[in-house]
Amino acid sequence: MPLDVIMPALGMAQDSGVILAWHKSPGDPVAEGDALFEVETDKAAMEVEAQGSGFLTDVMAKAGDEVPVGQVLARISDTPEDTGTKTEASPDASGEADTQADQAMPEGEPVIMPALGMAQDAGQIVAWRKSPGDAVTASDVLFEVETDKSIMEVEAGHDGFVAALLAEAGEEAPVGDVIAIISSEKPEAPIQRSLKDRGTATPAEAAPAREPAPAKESPSKTSESRPTKQAVPAMGGRILASPKARRLALERGLDLTRLADHGYPQPYHVKDLEVLERLPTEAAPQLSTAAPARYLSAHVETNGFDDFAAWAASEAGLPDAGSLLAAFAGSSLERAHVTVALEAFGKTRMFAVHGRWLSDVAEADPEARPDLRLRDLRFGRLIEVQAGPEDTPVLSVMASGAGLKLTLECAAEQLDASAAITLLSNFAGRMEQPLRHLL
Amino acid sequence: MREITLSQAVNEALAEEMRRDPTTFIIGEDVAEAGTPFKVLSGLVEEFGTSRVIDTPISEPGFVGIGVGAALTGARPIVDLMFGDFIYLVMDQLCNQAAKQHYMSGGKLSVPMVLRTNLGATRRSGAQHSQSLQALVAHIPGIKVALPSSAYEAKGLMKTAIRDNNPVVIIEDKLMYQDKAPVPEEEYLIPFGEANIKREGSDITLIGTSSMVQVAEAAAKILEAEGISAEVIDPRTIVPLDEDTLLKSVRKTSRAIVIDEGHQNYGITGEIASRLNEKAFYYLDAPVLRMGAMDVPVPFSPVLEDLTVPTPERVAENARRLCAGEMIHAA
Repeated sequence: MPLDVIMPALGMAQDSGVILAWHKSPGDPVAEGDALFEVETDKAAMEVEAQGSGFLTDVMAKAGDEVPVGQVLARISDTPEDTGTKTEASPDASGEADTQADQAMPEGEPVIMPALGMAQDAGQIVAWRKSPGDAVTASDVLFEVETDKSIMEVEAGHDGFVAALLAEAGEEAPVGDVIAIISSEKPEAPIQRSLKDRGTATPAEAAPAREPAPAKESPSKTSESRPTKQAVPAMGGRILASPKARRLALERGLDLTRLADHGYPQPYHVKDLEVLERLPTEAAPQLSTAAPARYLSAHVETNGFDDFAAWAASEAGLPDAGSLLAAFAGSSLERAHVTVALEAFGKTRMFAVHGRWLSDVAEADPEARPDLRLRDLRFGRLIEVQAGPEDTPVLSVMASGAGLKLTLECAAEQLDASAAITLLSNFAGRMEQPLRHLL
Repeated sequence: MREITLSQAVNEALAEEMRRDPTTFIIGEDVAEAGTPFKVLSGLVEEFGTSRVIDTPISEPGFVGIGVGAALTGARPIVDLMFGDFIYLVMDQLCNQAAKQHYMSGGKLSVPMVLRTNLGATRRSGAQHSQSLQALVAHIPGIKVALPSSAYEAKGLMKTAIRDNNPVVIIEDKLMYQDKAPVPEEEYLIPFGEANIKREGSDITLIGTSSMVQVAEAAAKILEAEGISAEVIDPRTIVPLDEDTLLKSVRKTSRAIVIDEGHQNYGITGEIASRLNEKAFYYLDAPVLRMGAMDVPVPFSPVLEDLTVPTPERVAENARRLCAGEMIHAA
């Protein structure tokens, strides 16, 4: 396949180069890396090497010619006689021109919007000097272009016929975009179009797509689905908190360790102080500590819940692991309707559980009074919770090796001993083998 | 108010100061007839002639040396360095000579020289013409560094720079030359060391330099739609740095991201972030984040080049995480 030889851009401010001499003649064999020709820019004279091997053919510019950057000067072909089928390697002079013009595009040499100045990224076509179908020579003025500095005439650069004009006078085309095609044969149906008609997205058109996509996410979603704070291990028992949160806690006489004791994930920031201030103080619990309390714990060898939650998310269309957890806990209580408060990652969600099907659980009014409180501490470092009875029975779930540790705490009057044992046993069974939930 | 391009604003500042003070002159490569490759100086040689708009050969250390000498002997040279990347070539004249004469002469000598040059990637100019090297010069005591973020700043800071009795390096973003901003017709100067609060906010402070001010403002818009209120501050000069304004803002918002187009390692962002940590530590609710250019030579591939510089989306994403209390860079 023939390889185009183009005028290279050798300087920042270079629009064209003057060919000083050809080092090869048409028909000469050429090896990749051979000096092909010498070019003079505003800075220096340089030799330009061949980018491939073959035979030099189709030399279109001679020594002394000034040639715009990107224009094809010659070809390197497989045979000395090859006149290079022009369509096969459509010269993509700008490096990004949309050569994928639709099928109706005539064959020929593309004419691009040239870069006429350093600070220019587009040019406005003032007027076309040729009409579709007109014959042109390489040195004919094809169009006038206005940049931010001046109006300049641009030459056709190729001999042939105007096969297509792809932008209208008055339109602004990005530098490098193909705006005309010059064919060697007289075109049967020359094309005249506007830039707007173009199907393929140009860089300029694609640009607005880079506008802030993330903004489309609704504000609530951002706060809900943000990567939940990982419970970062507090090294050596140290509490991780921001400098400001520490200072304010000190000033207000608050103890950050209480947040950790209640299972709130670290690190702590100023807004966690509000939670801390609302925590019931151990010194004056609402329920009399004199009331007999129940404390039960269970160990589950293997945690079956995570795999089940993953299965439910991918196969059953139930992506909310929190709702599954609430369903397991709620139905373990063996009542018709159970309201479960799920505390995880410093947030409380309320669920109504009214059956044993996985779909029999729904988000409930956050103000509702729960029958059961479920603390998901699996991602923390707590291994043991014994916080005393609260206003409702509390189930806590903690990681324990590959399995789980589950505890139930309640006041004696909230659940009798056998109900408490049933609740924790049911829940432990479901967490170990979630299919039990469906039996 | 009329709007003009950053390029026109610089041109106006130079023309006004050259009319006002006959000891001023411009020297550099392609400054006269060519008006620089970016056409910033177009028309100046016609007004002031080739004795005050002086073209030099390709000889950066030479003509910066001429500037230092002329400044020492009473002139006010404006030395034009075609690309900020060429600062490497003139380090001795700039950092050993210009920066130190006043100090080493016990105040008897001064070097009222302006070096104007540029920064900024994403122009597809390759690794040797796309760097943002403000950190190199800001590191050296004795040099002031101004980074205009719009046409308004470009004019006001340039006039202040020319009137300053010490060396000033003023670095324009080469992608912003055609950006327009309102610029008053009447004369004004922007004092050095005075940051500009571009936008008030309460949740996080975004500190940007040069074109990164625009990035910060765009990020603030994204965040606003999500209910996060970002304050945007442009320090305008990084030497001297208006610490007071930055600290006041960070004490208010408790969070900050510092954005600069220089490489992130050992850069401007690290310096500013460190000062905030030292002086506002007990007001911080999150670590101060640095966002500089990726620590690689600027790639020539457009796709890769665009990845190396901070964008509004990436700034907004980091701001979101800081405001959510997410632990960034947890040990």
